[in-house]
Amino acid sequence: MMVKIGFEVHLQLATGRKMYCNCPTNYQDVPPNTNVCPICTGMPGAKPLPPNERALDSAIEIALMLGCRVHTDETIYIQRKHYDYPDLPSGYQRTSLPVASGGELEGVRIRELHLEEDPGQYDPVSGTVDYNRSGVPLVEIVTEPDMSSPEHARRFLRSLIRVLEYTGKVRPEAGGAMRADVNISMEGGGRVEIKNINSVKGAYRALKYEIMRQGRMVGRGESVARETRAYLESQMVTVPMRAKEIEEDYRYIPDPDIFPIVIDSSRVERIRSAMPEPPRAREERMVREYGIPADVAGVIASERELADLYEAVVRDVDPMLAATWFRTKLKKVLNYMGLSAAEVGFSPGQLAGLLRMVQSGRITPEQGEMVLRELVSAPGDPEEIVQRLGLLPVSGEELRAAVERVIGENSKAVEDYLAGKEEALHFLTGKVLAAVRGRADPREVTEILRKRIAQPSRTSSQP
Amino acid sequence: MGGGTLEKLDSIRRGELSAAENVRRSLELIQRLDGKIRAFIELNPNALAEAEALDRRMERGERVGRLAGLAIGIKSNINVLGLRATCASRTLESYVSTYDAEVIRRIRREDGIIIGMTNMDEFACGSSGETSAFGPTDNPAAPGYIPGGSSSGSAAAVAAGFCDIALGSDTGGSIRNPASHCGVVGLKPTYGLVPRQGLIDLGMSLDQIGPLAGDVAGAALMLEVIAGKHAGECVMLDVDRVSCLDTLGDGVKGMRIGVSRKFAELTDPAIVGVIDRAVEKLRDLGAEIVEVDLPNLEHGLPAYYLIVSVEFFSATRKFDGRKYGRKIEDVCGEEVLRRIIRGRYISQKEYRGKYYQRALQVRTLIRRELLAALEKVDVLVGPTVPKLPHRLGERISVAEMYAYDYLTVPANLAGICAGVVRAGEVNGIPVGIQVQGKVLGEREVLRTMRALEAAP
Repeated sequence: MMVKIGFEVHLQLATGRKMYCNCPTNYQDVPPNTNVCPICTGMPGAKPLPPNERALDSAIEIALMLGCRVHTDETIYIQRKHYDYPDLPSGYQRTSLPVASGGELEGVRIRELHLEEDPGQYDPVSGTVDYNRSGVPLVEIVTEPDMSSPEHARRFLRSLIRVLEYTGKVRPEAGGAMRADVNISMEGGGRVEIKNINSVKGAYRALKYEIMRQGRMVGRGESVARETRAYLESQMVTVPMRAKEIEEDYRYIPDPDIFPIVIDSSRVERIRSAMPEPPRAREERMVREYGIPADVAGVIASERELADLYEAVVRDVDPMLAATWFRTKLKKVLNYMGLSAAEVGFSPGQLAGLLRMVQSGRITPEQGEMVLRELVSAPGDPEEIVQRLGLLPVSGEELRAAVERVIGENSKAVEDYLAGKEEALHFLTGKVLAAVRGRADPREVTEILRKRIAQPSRTSSQP
Repeated sequence: MGGGTLEKLDSIRRGELSAAENVRRSLELIQRLDGKIRAFIELNPNALAEAEALDRRMERGERVGRLAGLAIGIKSNINVLGLRATCASRTLESYVSTYDAEVIRRIRREDGIIIGMTNMDEFACGSSGETSAFGPTDNPAAPGYIPGGSSSGSAAAVAAGFCDIALGSDTGGSIRNPASHCGVVGLKPTYGLVPRQGLIDLGMSLDQIGPLAGDVAGAALMLEVIAGKHAGECVMLDVDRVSCLDTLGDGVKGMRIGVSRKFAELTDPAIVGVIDRAVEKLRDLGAEIVEVDLPNLEHGLPAYYLIVSVEFFSATRKFDGRKYGRKIEDVCGEEVLRRIIRGRYISQKEYRGKYYQRALQVRTLIRRELLAALEKVDVLVGPTVPKLPHRLGERISVAEMYAYDYLTVPANLAGICAGVVRAGEVNGIPVGIQVQGKVLGEREVLRTMRALEAAP
């Protein structure tokens, strides 16, 4: 059966200040109602400051990353969207007309992109509202209904979040800063909108459930009516919303207290020239440029900092070897330590040094992994780490010197051995290994000792 | 009152009149007469102490501000820290301001003494001063008649000598209408010249704070204090400050002053007579009187009421009963409710094009028409209110009430400035002449007003 799925995704922009006032945005880190002022609590007579320029820059950058056309030299009104809810201090939310439109990602057309402000947080149990979040800038991304399955929808959302996190201009999805409304229609049925989704997983589950529910209805010969439903995360089901919760008419008016936004093209070009390469383009380029497999390039490009690290490292390391290491060992170690590539403390040069040692066969891949773990937990020069961990085999010269020293200092044991006491040789082997801190094969040391004692050195044999 | 505002300021600066004495006289007068006039809703309990502190500073020879020692009344829709900004409504009956509006900061910086919050039409919705939840205000200049509105208390307070200068707000005539009826001076500045931060909304695209005073110099002085850009406020003109006192006495000789037949068509002939005599005076003073054409002027009124209702509906959504005790629709008077319902109705998706968009088109038309007329002349003069005020308590229809605003709303729709000064009287009721100016034409407007004020 034909399924059509579309999204309205909201993400918080990672600005330091709110959209229309100077309050800080770290609402999760402070006691309730402390990051507030007359503007973001909607006190009578309060007037907004002009829209946060950084938020607008971020929205433009995101739009460009999604291949949208930014609406330059147009009057972009900030609209008031009226609805009645306790978390909304003024009874309306400010939302811009589209800042950009017409992009594409994962075969899904991006219809348009808006700037919005977050409401406060209402706790229905205690009946209290915390306005710390009120006025935090949001970007809203609206897609066409171009996804054909929950899997496609999930792939799109993951890819979208990757793009947005690439810009560094949004708060991470993991922090609960993403919210999405999904619309889904199946052949012959009405369009159903699902609200209250706040993770990729949630979107996937809600869609799975909804397709099953609608499929059953069709199977029973019922028709699916156009409606708005809410996703209940705890039960993984969707339920109809009460009519009162679906205020269809928001009575939009341009906010008379804010001049409309006009974006000039030089601003867009400035942002375009400074923005990172979009992940998809980067992935393709890495395949071309370094000759690495597409799936590996995909893993590396999944995180901007990881890809940055890779590209720095391959300046003097075999790209294929580095790619294998990034996909397997580096990912494994980072995952184990719960770190993202953005959080590592070592330099690309240090990682390259390690890979060169592996490349030249000076250390084994297994030893390399030990060094890597060390590098992640206590960044430093890989040479020193190898030394510290005692991973390089001792040189022949150093070993011979240690043997000479041990023989010279333990004449009693040498005599005992010459007198036929085989254990004395083990004792001497132990002494040599201790002297080279175990960087030699014990059997090899025993053999060297045996030969050395059997044919005394020229110096000591001179009477 | 005796003497003008500037003379009083001089005598305070010279120590002939202390700030405390000036404030004490105001408070005593209010105590004695305001029970009947009802110009104030609340008095500032610290006013006298603030005046005494100012006197001590002057005794020490410290520099003081340009309003030093003057008693200032503030309309109850402007936030003054610690006082109630009730908007004369039960909705905000117990709302105590948590901050000073920007204009209040500027007044305090210049050492004006805020003596209290004045009465008004509820949420500035009215043209008579009768819709206040705290009772109607009487007209000190014509007792028993309405003082006009919505800045009824501010105009009455100035007329009764309760304060030296008052702030009002003007969305469709709310400063000029009561100034005319009470025989005082009122000025609606150019839209965007005076910060609105701290002014509780009626129609945000039209609202403007302005002064009411006993003389033109008082209004000009207050304008100089409150006007100019406010960092961070969006919808403002890029003007640092204005100066109009320096040219106030320049007279009208050589000025081109516009009049329109349209004004007379809409106005009571008795009022037209007063205005015509004032125009003759201007001609005698050397102004060139020029007839201008304003064919669409009367269409401003319906457009105004549509726009203001939509914006007012939006602005009042925050009075949802969760934060300020009472939900506005549950406790407000009928005019406020009428505007909310009208605004809710015409802002619906299906009516947007039919009403709201059309109203905005008419607004553009009126603006073009007025600006075109003002290309040919320096100022436009005419009546302020087309009818004389009715008696307090007399029932008039909604349409009659709205008709008071025919001649004042065009200036708000166009965003231009306009002032009112007493031109004469009809049956003992003051009649003010309205002087409309270009965008940022305050100097010419005030100069014309001063010429009329000074003419014998």
